[in-house]
Amino acid sequence: MPDPLRTITAERVAALAAGATLLGSGGGGPVALGELLLRRALPRRGVIVRRARDLPLQAMVVHVGVFGAPDVLAERLINPADMAAAARAVVEQVGGELAAVGALEIGGLNALAAVLAAHELDLPIIDGDLMGRAFPSVYKTTMSVAGHPAAPVALVGPGGDTVVVPTCSDRLVGGLLDSAAAALGGLAALAIYPTSAATLASVGVPGTLSSCVSLGEAFLSAPAGDIPVLADRLGGSFIFQGRVDELRPREADAPGSVTLTGAGGSVARIDLLEEFLAVTVNGITLARTPDVIVVLSSTSGAVVGTAQVRLGQALGIVALPALHTWPPGSDAVVGPAAFGLDLDVVTR
Amino acid sequence: MSAAPRVADLLLDPILDGIQIVAGSAGVERRVTDVLWYEGDFEQVEGALMICGEAHVSPPYRLDALVRRAQEARAAALLVVAGPAHPLLSSMRLADRLEIPVLWLDTREPVRLMLELNSLVRAPETVRARTVERLLRQLAAKRSGTDILAAAEAVLSVKLSLVTSDGSVILGAKVDLDPTLHLDQPVPQRGDHLLVHPVLDPDVNRLAAWLACPYDRAADSRLDILAMGLAMTEPFIRSWLSGQRTQADRDSVFQAHLLSEIAAGRDSVSRDVVEGALLLGWRLQDWHVGIHLQSDAPRPARDRDPLVEQFTAGLARHGIKIVAATNRGDGWAMWMTTDSEPAPDNPRQLLRALRVVTAALPREWGVTAGIGRPHRGPGGLADTLAESRDAADLAHSHGFRPAVEHSDELGVARLLATWQRSDVTRAFADTALAPLRGQANSHLLMTLRAYLESGGSVVLTAQALGVHRNTVTTRVQQVRDRLGVDLDDPSQRLALQVACRALGV
Repeated sequence: MPDPLRTITAERVAALAAGATLLGSGGGGPVALGELLLRRALPRRGVIVRRARDLPLQAMVVHVGVFGAPDVLAERLINPADMAAAARAVVEQVGGELAAVGALEIGGLNALAAVLAAHELDLPIIDGDLMGRAFPSVYKTTMSVAGHPAAPVALVGPGGDTVVVPTCSDRLVGGLLDSAAAALGGLAALAIYPTSAATLASVGVPGTLSSCVSLGEAFLSAPAGDIPVLADRLGGSFIFQGRVDELRPREADAPGSVTLTGAGGSVARIDLLEEFLAVTVNGITLARTPDVIVVLSSTSGAVVGTAQVRLGQALGIVALPALHTWPPGSDAVVGPAAFGLDLDVVTR
Repeated sequence: MSAAPRVADLLLDPILDGIQIVAGSAGVERRVTDVLWYEGDFEQVEGALMICGEAHVSPPYRLDALVRRAQEARAAALLVVAGPAHPLLSSMRLADRLEIPVLWLDTREPVRLMLELNSLVRAPETVRARTVERLLRQLAAKRSGTDILAAAEAVLSVKLSLVTSDGSVILGAKVDLDPTLHLDQPVPQRGDHLLVHPVLDPDVNRLAAWLACPYDRAADSRLDILAMGLAMTEPFIRSWLSGQRTQADRDSVFQAHLLSEIAAGRDSVSRDVVEGALLLGWRLQDWHVGIHLQSDAPRPARDRDPLVEQFTAGLARHGIKIVAATNRGDGWAMWMTTDSEPAPDNPRQLLRALRVVTAALPREWGVTAGIGRPHRGPGGLADTLAESRDAADLAHSHGFRPAVEHSDELGVARLLATWQRSDVTRAFADTALAPLRGQANSHLLMTLRAYLESGGSVVLTAQALGVHRNTVTTRVQQVRDRLGVDLDDPSQRLALQVACRALGV
């Protein structure tokens, strides 16, 4: 475990963004956008990082981020003030005073969005998150697995339009937010999972913000191109290196796949939806969600997202261990089966 | 018990018609000892052909794991029974790498497929017994040779042909006879890509034809079945051949008899003859035009001579319908019948049509034909047939083939024919041309003949014989010397020309 992070300053933004990109497992939205916003905000003052267990037991924490379509994100900036408004709307429902902001997911844009929201609210950010990576659904969290409700939930659109859902079952929260976000123009600021520091300390994924930054630092300092070395530096395992031979797009909710052919005719298949879900090499599944699967360009060393894979690309695959040990039985929520993947149980 | 079939053998079996091998073709020589339905585990499947349903490969990535596990369990191959093939590239690459064949079949009857494959692999004798039964049932009801072959083809799922030893086809498609086969010995044989079974002559115990069955490759058990199928089909073919011959014999003997009755009785034919002619569809009282067809090539006395068949078929294309064709020993007599007297320009059209048709026949047959004038009634039939025969003789005397002559109104053909056949002419020819007879002088006789036929032109003679002018001049001089005749005298020339024709040079 790396040294705990005390504050997030402008110098840390690059590492934070790099770490969030790695932990996005190929998805998680445009991290670069959050990085730009943070670079602009942070020179004024840094954001204090607190561990949940260091906060008073009853201190209220709300998880803040952005929710909606990545395509819209590419065209419309997120406004930190909207995220602050969403957080306040949830606090209003719960009653009390907000003590800190939590990150919903440490992978992708939302890791940076939470820091941005904390900065806007001038509150500390919790060193941790609820997923230990990025997932496409807001209910794939440790809180949900532990039986804590997602509601009250607030969505704030760009015009200040606010949707508040005081109570909602976890089963419906995804669909409800989807349609509300669509009505708000495809993208909205989200505040969700209001909880106490004590609950968070027991069910949250602790220390992931620190881990994210140190992962990012390790990635940025590693020599580009040598993927096995990079895997070693990141504490992950090198899985495969090869060239993209076939792309099968997803069909609705059925995962798509990428076929890579490597040296000596060995073959790897990556199953993917919004994120890379599993890697199967020569018929043996070597990594699967909730493991974090990082796909890198063998030539530039850059992280390649699910939407950036092209035929003929030379790619390397690295698996990072999950930052969090999911409790038994959570496979139905975060395992391959949750994404419609029925993988062979044999793993080596 | 033959050895277990290989995957490649099964691929060619009719049971798996429409199968495609999507990957792992390097492993097609694996032997298949069992056929199993995949039930989610690979327990004790070594050497087995595993059949998976669509559910096992959808979504398609599941095939990856199946391929790997099938290989680990040492299964022989995977057969996927599903819709149109869309396996992932990763599955195909994996199967190629592991060299385990992945077969894809689009069928709605996996259970039946499973049963049939199972008996094919585990109990080939059951398949053989079933084939025997089906073949017998099918063949029993068939009469014609084409039907018999078609029935056997359907049951055995192969292409069959009935061919002679020299490779010409009697029924079915052309087959390339394997030179390694010993077609002089009437025993069943297996060539590289061909099974043959002898068909014996119905009357005498010797070879009549071969039943041939080409195949690409097949398991021993399948070849056994095919060989047995051929052996079962052979008696049916033989019996058909025998039936054909009997009927053809009856017809030709009867026709020849009627014709000679008509020729003898002319217009006062007996009532039997009229009835017999009616039975054969001959309209004796109408107008007839006779045609006489001959061939230089020695032809076996067959009832269905391809010469006559092709000739009449060719005439039919010109709208000329032949009533009957009868073998008269020196050729085929045939005629056409019309209600009214043919138009004056009809002979010329008929002559042109016959020249076109005979030109289309193989040159080596050396076909000559004569056409008679139109005559009416039974006596007219006898006349026109006689005229056509004379015209054919005239045509035969030409130096080229095919040749067709019409017994025209002026009767030149008849006159010449009469001369040529007369004993006086013959005797003259024998004496006058004696110095040129014999093998050693045949070129001189030929040159004389060509010289006379071309009207005494050295140039034309040289062209006709394909030799130099000077050669012709030299030879003609030799002829003059030997015969001691004056070739400039028209009478002498005429006499010699008729003599040449009488000798049939």
